[in-house]
Amino acid sequence: MRRRTSLLTWLRRPLVAASLLSALVLVPRVASAQVVEVDLSGAVFHEPSEKSAMTVYNPGASLTVTPWEFLSVGVHYEADIVTGASEGVKAGPLSSPDVISQASVTDTRNLVTGSLGINRKNTSLTASYTWAAESDYKSQSIAVVAGTEFLQRNTRLELSYARGFDKVCNVAYPPNRDPSVRTPLDSSTGCFTSAANRQSQDVDLDTFGGGWTQSWTPFLSTQVSLNFGLQHGFLGNPYRGVVIGASGQVAQEHHPDDRARFAATLKGKYFIKSFDTTVGLAVRGYRDTWDVLSQTYELNAERYMLPWLRLMVKGRYYNQTGALFWSDDYTGGEPTYGPRGQYWSGDRELSPLRSYLVGGRVLGTWKGTKEQRLLGALLDFSAGASLDAIKTDLRDFTLAGDAPDDTWAYVLGLSIHGGF
Amino acid sequence: MQKKLTLWLLGAAVVGAATQGCVTVRPEQRSYLADPTMQFESESPDEAQLQHVLENREGSFGGGSIKGGGCGCN
Repeated sequence: MRRRTSLLTWLRRPLVAASLLSALVLVPRVASAQVVEVDLSGAVFHEPSEKSAMTVYNPGASLTVTPWEFLSVGVHYEADIVTGASEGVKAGPLSSPDVISQASVTDTRNLVTGSLGINRKNTSLTASYTWAAESDYKSQSIAVVAGTEFLQRNTRLELSYARGFDKVCNVAYPPNRDPSVRTPLDSSTGCFTSAANRQSQDVDLDTFGGGWTQSWTPFLSTQVSLNFGLQHGFLGNPYRGVVIGASGQVAQEHHPDDRARFAATLKGKYFIKSFDTTVGLAVRGYRDTWDVLSQTYELNAERYMLPWLRLMVKGRYYNQTGALFWSDDYTGGEPTYGPRGQYWSGDRELSPLRSYLVGGRVLGTWKGTKEQRLLGALLDFSAGASLDAIKTDLRDFTLAGDAPDDTWAYVLGLSIHGGF
Repeated sequence: MQKKLTLWLLGAAVVGAATQGCVTVRPEQRSYLADPTMQFESESPDEAQLQHVLENREGSFGGGSIKGGGCGCN
């Protein structure tokens, strides 16, 4: 059943309301603290399509308290409220279009993060715990980030580690059942209960990160970051079926249980004094053990239109190869549509694709002082709005030979921030 | 051996040049570097939301912490 959710409706949701209320209630109690920061945000993601339109509402609220200069405590809540439809079965050009059917998707993912930060003059250490749950997926993660600055604060080094303990709901098939005869999950009913036809499977995630930020001149700074991630467990979509036999045999998507991923990013920021504008450039390279190789290039420019108003515009280009076992059709023979070994996927993210993004953001910021607070209470206040448009060019992905029409996406974001 | 030595010297020269370059920005020259537009970590949460969307539409990831949702079920 498709469900439309308005802005007012999600504001009325109990968890969102509780978050906002707790933020407001907590503020007076910590009035003696040095700084209390409250962030409220909302985003709407929309993917228009004739048959498989998708809309995701993403409200969020954060509260950060700094009782002493060396300590900060934060709590963050956000939700993904998903409504729309998606294809339950992936077939290639050798199958009939009748195989493709749309299934409605309605789900809410709630996410809560608690964090503790210790800040000394030139070093910082932050630890956080995140819990997230939706009807068919649960996750917990811990993360630690340590950073230090030296050489008169011109150099900053940062190391991070995160560990995720996720669980995904699946059909309770026996472990020795051949993947080619496993059927996809038909609904989340019975997930994470003792239902005999459901099981939960583990997904373990380890992510290591390192970063080096350097100021080179009064107008130029750069940042190099490296990320290495390991994933182990059920890494497919349990709902997705793939046509793997010429007779129309459908099996649950079957991906390898392990994936190691590596990304390296170089960013630069340069302030052009004659234009009073900051220009940013980012280049990222990525490779993983599924043989997905990608490059990302991003360019942005930001300037003050008024002393309190900033405008940022950006463009991004992304290009990736397909996974080693990717095929648009697993029913044919080599070489054109042949099977790719023991794995099969209907995931367009594993097909060769290009992606283009253009977007912009306006942000207004106002500063007060301890003696002269804004509206009598705020040390600072900011409000922002952003809009991004994304076009994905699927070079090898079809639904029974037809190109999908849900390749445009729009993201609208709104945010306000207040410091007390 | 000579090639290794050359590489070491080249590396040392790069690090030396970089270190020299670092301390040329004195605290009183940091007004532009301290501006919010020059920070790599965006102060606006919509950047994180957009990153979340992109990671769900593309086959690669990197640069963020783990927040679950790894199977891409939705």
